[in-house]
Amino acid sequence: MVEQTRVHYQEELEQLEASGLGGLDLVSDALMRTMEAVGNQDVELAQLVIADDDRIDGRYLEVHQSLIALLARQSPVATDLRLISALLHVLKSIERMGDQCVNICKMIPLTGNEPPADEQMVTLILNMGKQTRTLISQSKRAFEERKVEMARDLVRQDDVVDDLNRECFRLALEIGDDADSREWAMTMLLAARAIERIGDNAVDIGEQVAFVVTGLFREFEDASHPEQ
Amino acid sequence: MTQDKSRADTGRAARESAAERAAIAVRPGEFQHSASGKREKVFEMNGVEVLYSGVSAVQGISMEIHRNDVTALIGPSGCGKSTLLRSLNRMNDLIPTAEVRGEVLYHGEDLYGPGVDPVQVRKLIGMVFQKPNPFPKSIYDNVAFGPRILGEKDGLDEKVENALRGAALWDEVKDRLDDNAFGLSGGQQQRLCIARCIAVQPDTILMDEPCSALDPISTGKIEDLMIELKSEFSIVIVTHNMQQAARVSDRTAFLMVELDADEGNRWGRLVEYDETEKIFTNPADQRTEDYVSGKVG
Repeated sequence: MVEQTRVHYQEELEQLEASGLGGLDLVSDALMRTMEAVGNQDVELAQLVIADDDRIDGRYLEVHQSLIALLARQSPVATDLRLISALLHVLKSIERMGDQCVNICKMIPLTGNEPPADEQMVTLILNMGKQTRTLISQSKRAFEERKVEMARDLVRQDDVVDDLNRECFRLALEIGDDADSREWAMTMLLAARAIERIGDNAVDIGEQVAFVVTGLFREFEDASHPEQ
Repeated sequence: MTQDKSRADTGRAARESAAERAAIAVRPGEFQHSASGKREKVFEMNGVEVLYSGVSAVQGISMEIHRNDVTALIGPSGCGKSTLLRSLNRMNDLIPTAEVRGEVLYHGEDLYGPGVDPVQVRKLIGMVFQKPNPFPKSIYDNVAFGPRILGEKDGLDEKVENALRGAALWDEVKDRLDDNAFGLSGGQQQRLCIARCIAVQPDTILMDEPCSALDPISTGKIEDLMIELKSEFSIVIVTHNMQQAARVSDRTAFLMVELDADEGNRWGRLVEYDETEKIFTNPADQRTEDYVSGKVG
């Protein structure tokens, strides 16, 4: 008769995982509102997103501290140890994703009240945001369900974001000679770049899923050796 | 005891006892890693089973123990880890009902072969027990006991000092070598037992829960000592403290109890044996995972 032990520790670890991954919901909301602020040139909404980033940072600090305490008190090993190590990485990624939303929102007032917005480029950026939110939710599900294939699929999804980012760059090059338009396009390129980085963070979370499941850490794609 | 009464395996051809004696009388430092880079084996167990009164306590054990490693045996109570440890220096010979089957090779030679002298075996393969067990003698006499019995009377002072230094106890006792060993603290007594063990220059030290009666500071000292000693000796340790296994050992073997529901018998079996890092970060067997993470009792 096998008796389960360390039940409270197990519950605590499960709660911390849920709370940590819940940070991805906060980031997804922040990105949605960021895109809304970009689409509508909504400076006030952008300010709200910036203020709300404290919630994401707070979640990071709270779960991080609890995980360190769990390491100290419970000496986790094997899968639990890998899970905690992965969660610490995931928390950092979530915190970075939140910061990228803040970076975008800080740019919105810089473009002025009625910027010379290029409709096509705005649409591309909103599409990037939408696609990236899909990545965020997929990375969360892959982690919760420990599905390595789903995690690997994030690379394919992220390629879509990367393509949109390149398309933005192409449009910016063709924006014309007007100085205001060029300044706007440059700012929007920075926003596109920030969204692209959020996608990369989601892929990083996918790599942690593979680590938890297999015990081996491998980058899904090596950015410094892309041909391999 | 020169003949193996307890051994059941009679199928093997008898070997030249002189050759066996020569092989068994190894000295520390004689063995090196082979040129191929393969680890040198101190012990090789093939299908080892230990029985008490005909009832199996542990069975089906096949594993290698490497030179200059600390090898940890872990597992729940009754899994046979201490029994297995004791079979490595023929300590089970002292229990009349005990019987060892299968093959235990020590540096390639049959440990239970005819003509192998168990006393010589226990000199080369020393043992440290759970409870510190110094003799009711002075600190000096405790350490000098082994060499005296072996007739090694020359340079006794030097041998005692070297052993006490080796056991990281010299600085604490050098001014009171004539004091009774019982006056030492538990941790010091255990280090004295380690000094007594290494005074006869063994090749391997077996430790059966050497820290379970010690406080964390003394435990830390013994653990540091194990790491220092392994450059010179091979160490096999049985421990209930999994963090201790994780801290000090290079390789870890996990044994668990197997139950025969029909007969009501239970015996120990080797579940997994691997690098300690692997056992504690990514074990291959779910039963190892459940045990090392303390999720099943």
